[in-house]
Amino acid sequence: MTQFELIIRGMRRNIKHYFLYYFAFIFSTSLYFVFATLQNDSSFMAASFSNFKFSSIFNAAGILVLVIVVVFMVYANHIFLKRRSKEIGLYQLVGLTHSMVARLLITENALLGAGALLIGMGSGVIMSRLFVLILMKLMGSQSLITLSFSGKAALQTMIVFTVLIVVTWMQMVFKVYRSTLLDLFQSDRKGDHPKQPRNFLSAVMGLAGIILILTGYMLSSQALGQHLFLKLLTILGMTILGTYLLFRVTIGWVFYRIRKGKNGHLGLSNSLSLATIMHRMKNNANSLTLITVLSAMTLTMVAISYSLYYSAGSESRGMLPYDFIFENNEQDSKSFGSQLEKAGITFAHGSIEALRLQGKNGSGKEGVHSLLLLTAEELQATGADIRVPVQNEAIMYKGLKWALSEERTSPSFSQTIDFGPSGVHVQITLNQAVDRYAMNYSVLGRQLVISLATMKSIRENMPISPGYESIHIDTYLIADQRERALASGIYTKMIKKDEFNPDFDSYYKESIRKFGLILFIAGFLSLTFLVSTGSILYFMQMTEAEQERKNYTILRQLGFEEREIIGGIIQKQWFVFSIPLVIGLLHSIFAVKAASALTLSDLTIPAAIAMSVYALIYFMFAVLTVIYYIRIVRTAL
Amino acid sequence: MVKTVLHAQEVRKSYGVRGNIQQVLRGINLRVLEGEFVGIMGPSGSGKSTLLNILATIDKATEGTIFVEDTDLSKMSNIEMAHFRRTKLGFIFQDYNLLDTLTVKENILLPVTLGKRNKAAAEADYQVLAKDLLIEEIGHQYPHEISGGQRQRTSAARALIHRPSIVFADEPTGALDSKAASTLLGILEGLNRERSITIMMVTHDPVASSYCSRVVFLKDGMIYSELYRGNKTRQAFFKELINVQAVLGGDHVDTV
Repeated sequence: MTQFELIIRGMRRNIKHYFLYYFAFIFSTSLYFVFATLQNDSSFMAASFSNFKFSSIFNAAGILVLVIVVVFMVYANHIFLKRRSKEIGLYQLVGLTHSMVARLLITENALLGAGALLIGMGSGVIMSRLFVLILMKLMGSQSLITLSFSGKAALQTMIVFTVLIVVTWMQMVFKVYRSTLLDLFQSDRKGDHPKQPRNFLSAVMGLAGIILILTGYMLSSQALGQHLFLKLLTILGMTILGTYLLFRVTIGWVFYRIRKGKNGHLGLSNSLSLATIMHRMKNNANSLTLITVLSAMTLTMVAISYSLYYSAGSESRGMLPYDFIFENNEQDSKSFGSQLEKAGITFAHGSIEALRLQGKNGSGKEGVHSLLLLTAEELQATGADIRVPVQNEAIMYKGLKWALSEERTSPSFSQTIDFGPSGVHVQITLNQAVDRYAMNYSVLGRQLVISLATMKSIRENMPISPGYESIHIDTYLIADQRERALASGIYTKMIKKDEFNPDFDSYYKESIRKFGLILFIAGFLSLTFLVSTGSILYFMQMTEAEQERKNYTILRQLGFEEREIIGGIIQKQWFVFSIPLVIGLLHSIFAVKAASALTLSDLTIPAAIAMSVYALIYFMFAVLTVIYYIRIVRTAL
Repeated sequence: MVKTVLHAQEVRKSYGVRGNIQQVLRGINLRVLEGEFVGIMGPSGSGKSTLLNILATIDKATEGTIFVEDTDLSKMSNIEMAHFRRTKLGFIFQDYNLLDTLTVKENILLPVTLGKRNKAAAEADYQVLAKDLLIEEIGHQYPHEISGGQRQRTSAARALIHRPSIVFADEPTGALDSKAASTLLGILEGLNRERSITIMMVTHDPVASSYCSRVVFLKDGMIYSELYRGNKTRQAFFKELINVQAVLGGDHVDTV
């Protein structure tokens, strides 16, 4: 047999065996190519926002994609080499030199890699169109961005993946030259044998893992405030270290206890799940930690970005309760109203008499703020959902959550607010704060809602004081979305350039565009992450399945039925897949909770949707491995 | 009258496609009574392993009927066969076939885990067997930590824990040194005598066969002859076995 024939044979066998590896390779190539295409498309990058560094986010995401692809490829290649080590050893045993074996592997890998690269880019061209369509849909943009094949993107992808392939070659060369024949032949027999854990040490380490994770959770639920970055890093470090200890020590320790309690009466399913997992825990701790952390990151990313997108509407409403407002400008308001009528747009008009004045809460100089006093009854008349406070009490509509406001601690209620630096003092009690605005946030002043009676008494008591201003606000609400968009056009023409007067429709569309883009990038990244983590788990399990084949033969000879063995395997796969997922989910739940302090809307529903979609796709990989195992068990006898 | 544990009639086995059929077994008739320790000998290629696999339901015969106690093996489905193996048969293999992820005790108790017997009874059985097989001390060790002889005795304990009707042993001493082999065989012989456990052992080693109560010689897929030990000493029986083997040819034994 010539060397060429050997290579061709090796390839044929490998494609069949490592189908998923090549699939993942192709998939990540296409994803990267799509990314590179978007990155290099000037028309696309121009569709940016004034206040938003679009290209930098894209570049950062590109680097992340790259990192995960590198980690994944190196890991997958490592598993491959391990699985083929017998073959490598055999070549050497029959007299091939190191360099010949290395050349054999490299040629094979180069051919397959080049094929995968080409296919990947080809499908990337198709995929990029699909992705652009998705992006346009997410951003609510009508104008179609047409993408042309970008030579620059192709070159970029080629360079990146060529470098990657070279890295895998280095791995191969290292494997061929550095391992002894004995290592090569015994590689699949290696597996660590669970020893009785040293009680004290492992109990301490196991506990430390849990404590680290819990502390990380606790820190994350506190308001972030100062040293945000440092805190985030600490939390991240603690959680990752805790997760590693959890896999390396805690779970093994718990399993050991359970097993000891069984006193030898393990049962088939425990023999197949518990014992096997314990047997490989030491080797698998790294990969499981990696998978858990990646899953947690992905889940958090997807959940938060989907939540932002999902709640863009309610968030905008929280900022701008009214579609259009005119502040002290009845003339414009009237003409706006008549223009709306002319255009046949149905609208609800309301007018609000508000007060803007200086007020002080707490003691000292710090507490002086410009306050906007609004009357609850008037707001209610415009259809707003607002409670009327009792006499001399106010409710603050502060819009932002405390996590983002400059004050690090939420004010303690009830506190008194003291009006009138001029010497006339009126005091009202502030009893409650609400995480939204009662009036569009563009109107200056901290928004306090009081009852009509309270307002009356304030007006009577302090007719003149500096910084006391009576304001008339006209509000417009339009129910129909299309009519609102039309009105938005009229409104934009009317207001002066230097005035800051955002209307709901423009604001909402802008946030949809922004969050749509973020969701797109997050979805993109998570797809890459998911495919890689899923594949890593799949490879791990495939290798394990091959190593376990002998055991299945034994069990079947002893008279265990296929069904029973598969039952035990399913239990094992359930553990292997759900432990990282559950821990990853927990991590991300806390991360999302921490992040939800930053937004006005409730993130539970969108986060739950995003997480369940992720879990569903993730478990498809579990099903794949079970199918692989079933095939092995079937052919075991 | 002594009960018949295994009864094979006209068992044939052939491999290959039409036109190129190779007959491995050509009509084996064999009856094993309760409490017998039957050895099966024969040169390589005589079909002894095939016969054992078929009798042990791991392989299927092309023709013929096999009864174990009162069950007809040829009429069983695969699932019934598996169930039958687990409840009625015990196995000792040349390369031990222990699960390396399980401790000695866990390995031994594996076959009874789904059985009806409760844990306490299984535990008691285990204690007795472990004592008989001299593996009490190593119950919590893993297979890779113990010697070959200990592994094979573990395997024997696993074959006996569920009180099978018959134990099949396929070259059980093949991978053992002579001391470990004689310990194992001595124990098997003792168990066979004291508790009338029925054992069928395939071996090519006349020393191992000399522990049996009867030895069946196979040649070219047929039974060539049978020797009963009767009241003879093991040494005398061994000499007889050597003589038959010399006539049979094939495996040449020069050592005595």
